[in-house]
Amino acid sequence: MKQFIARRIGYSLLSLLLLSLTIFLFIRLTGDPASLLAEPGASAADIAAIQKKFGLDQPVWYQYIYFMGNLLRGDLGESFYYQTPVLELYLSRLPNSLLLASVAMSFSLLLGIPTGILAAVRVGRFWDTVGKFFALLGLSLPSFLVGLLLILFFSVYLEWLPSSGSGGFLNLLMPAFALGWYFAAAHMRLTRSSMLEVMGSEYIKLARLKGLPEFKVIAKHAFKNALIPVMTLAGINLINMINVAVVVETVFAWPGIGRLLYEGISFRDFPIVQGVVIIGGSMIVAVNLLVDIVYAFVDPRIRLEA
Amino acid sequence: MNLPAGISGDEPHNDIGRRASLALLASGILASGYRQAHAAANGTLTIAVHVSLPPSWLDPSEMPALITTYMLVYALHDAMVKPMPEGNPAPCMAESFTASPDGLVHEFVLRKGMTFHNGDPVTSADVKFTFDRYRGASHQILRDAVASVETPDDLRVVIRLKEPWPDFMTFYALATGANWIVPKKYIEKVGDAGYRKAPVGAGPFKLVSFDPGVELVMEAHPGYWRHTPRVKRIVMKVIPDEATRLVALKRGEVDYAYSIRGELAQEVKRTPSLKLEVASDGATYWMYFPEQWDPQSPWYKPQVRQAAALAIDYVSINNALNLGASRITSNFIPQHLKYHWPSPPPVFDPAKAMRLLAEAGYPSGFDAGFYWCDAAYANLGEAAANNLAAVGIKVQLRPIERAAFDKAFADKRYKRGIIQGSSAAFGNASTRLSVWAIKDGAYAYGSYPEIDALYPQQLHELDDAKRTAILHKMQQSIIEKNMFVPLWQLGFLSVAGPRVKTSTYGSIPGFVYLGPYDDIVLNE
Repeated sequence: MKQFIARRIGYSLLSLLLLSLTIFLFIRLTGDPASLLAEPGASAADIAAIQKKFGLDQPVWYQYIYFMGNLLRGDLGESFYYQTPVLELYLSRLPNSLLLASVAMSFSLLLGIPTGILAAVRVGRFWDTVGKFFALLGLSLPSFLVGLLLILFFSVYLEWLPSSGSGGFLNLLMPAFALGWYFAAAHMRLTRSSMLEVMGSEYIKLARLKGLPEFKVIAKHAFKNALIPVMTLAGINLINMINVAVVVETVFAWPGIGRLLYEGISFRDFPIVQGVVIIGGSMIVAVNLLVDIVYAFVDPRIRLEA
Repeated sequence: MNLPAGISGDEPHNDIGRRASLALLASGILASGYRQAHAAANGTLTIAVHVSLPPSWLDPSEMPALITTYMLVYALHDAMVKPMPEGNPAPCMAESFTASPDGLVHEFVLRKGMTFHNGDPVTSADVKFTFDRYRGASHQILRDAVASVETPDDLRVVIRLKEPWPDFMTFYALATGANWIVPKKYIEKVGDAGYRKAPVGAGPFKLVSFDPGVELVMEAHPGYWRHTPRVKRIVMKVIPDEATRLVALKRGEVDYAYSIRGELAQEVKRTPSLKLEVASDGATYWMYFPEQWDPQSPWYKPQVRQAAALAIDYVSINNALNLGASRITSNFIPQHLKYHWPSPPPVFDPAKAMRLLAEAGYPSGFDAGFYWCDAAYANLGEAAANNLAAVGIKVQLRPIERAAFDKAFADKRYKRGIIQGSSAAFGNASTRLSVWAIKDGAYAYGSYPEIDALYPQQLHELDDAKRTAILHKMQQSIIEKNMFVPLWQLGFLSVAGPRVKTSTYGSIPGFVYLGPYDDIVLNE
């Protein structure tokens, strides 16, 4: 078991190293931030001064070693644009993102799970088609369009909700729904397929043969087992909601981490992009590591196979 | 400034909201009819801002070469001299400024009785401290030129130069933050980091609260030397999405919205309660032919470049893409920059363009390769490319994301085809020419010896009339050669809500934000 855990931790660290290298190199292929921190046509001296100030005049390998050295000390660097430590910026936006992600996840589970169950127990019938259509829409409609349509109906026509910003419960509803719908569709599809798999298993047939009421078979025996993969996916999705709700947070001017990432990308603010991606990636790697270890404890075959 | 009448348009920038959804939203907004603003006239002006506001913009000592920075600086700080409606530059904290005949000594006299937001008096020691502390754009050029900053008394500042430099005031007053005065005593007490968290200035408004990238609140500074601001409080809310900004304005959540373009601007024009306003951006956009110095290229022939200039339907493009708000010009040096030559407007004559092409040996036109442009202004490039194609100059549009485009342009990697250049950099005609049109300029792919020869003649010329004449001659020569073919000087569109009586938008030359802030008036 110790060997299994050590190997998993090693893989996780390797993944993070590769992630850091990838994001570090790829963001540098997209252009020179110095040209975005001055007006077009700024003098060569001004551009050179900006490059020097942020260490962009150094060779890339040196910049990477410097970045990794700081990272190992828990320093994600200072934003070019805000000229503030990235960690400070991240932490200042984190409460807003956590709030948005929590409400969006609640929307997503409240919509996705019942729809998925209904689609599974009525497979091939009307409710299954409705569920699949709901999932198709959720996965295909771009978030910015959903956001703008929500603003149109609830802010402009009905005047029920504020169009943007944060601060009150009403500000939260539209961005949370716009963000949650996409994930609700994913949760619905997984709940449906997971339920269908469980419903075909021997112990469900036995429960039915024993004459248990259908509601009890579904709610007590099938649903509980079908929920495990959905909850695993929801955990990963929660991390995505916190870190990469870029479009929704931008449309609704929600001051979260997604908007910070959007600003980082727009201004080629390398430290912000690297910081957000590495924190988000670390969260996903940590959750996966934890799940792997828990699975290995629960099911010895996994660690033996590994 | 009121917007001229125009026809339907496209948006010059690409935000997250795409054309279709913007149109959908715009029509929905209109269909709903305008409801009266919820907020009462309580003396608070709320502005929807299109860019994130970073803490570094609160401190003029780090001023980057970005015009957006001045959105905050004009409110919180004040300068010795600065561009104002009454002059460019106009005396502000300095009630007068003079230069010695030899151009070596510049003397400024401060107004009496000015105070910073914390009540400390503004003195010449603050001016010297500000100069010494400045580390932003072009600080090295300024520092290298200045021999000393002296403070003979509390109200007088004398800046001595190492040698005569006609551009001193351009850099000191317009292109750097060195004359935006910060309080010496306060900064020495709180330190640079402390100052950035709680900045104190001498501007018309003082900082109340700031959530970086989200919201900034300011309150009127009653002791401001011009007059007490007429608005008690200003709130700047960052709303990155254009459609969301307009909805917030419609609902009365904000009173003013920056940067509303394309379909949304068109809809605003049809809404009587909203006022679409235009400010002339410092940025001109032009076509540039990097092959014009290659004898093997068609662009080497002056008739071909002239044909390209005659092929462009400037007015229709401006009307279609920017509601006629941009300024049509044949000079790539913007109008508000000092030493600008007021050139005759460009002419649209496709028939003559085709004749010129035939004379140059291209009766059927020619394939000119790629048309490189910043993706944010690809619509302008597309319109120009269509006009060129109509006379036989065929190009393929290649929009590149701005950071990559600027880098490749400066690295001189676009050796063939046409480049759509633009610049909103600070300075004057001389500084603009040095970057784009003179030998070894950062963005110059080549130059003409007769223009290069004129450049040093004006660089140290202290007689302003003579200098103006030389710089006008250079611009005239550039236009005659069609070295650049300007497409427009961008008009930046923003919208005032019904609570705003006087916005001041567009009243400061080359400045595309509200200001002077103390002159803004709200309806009762």
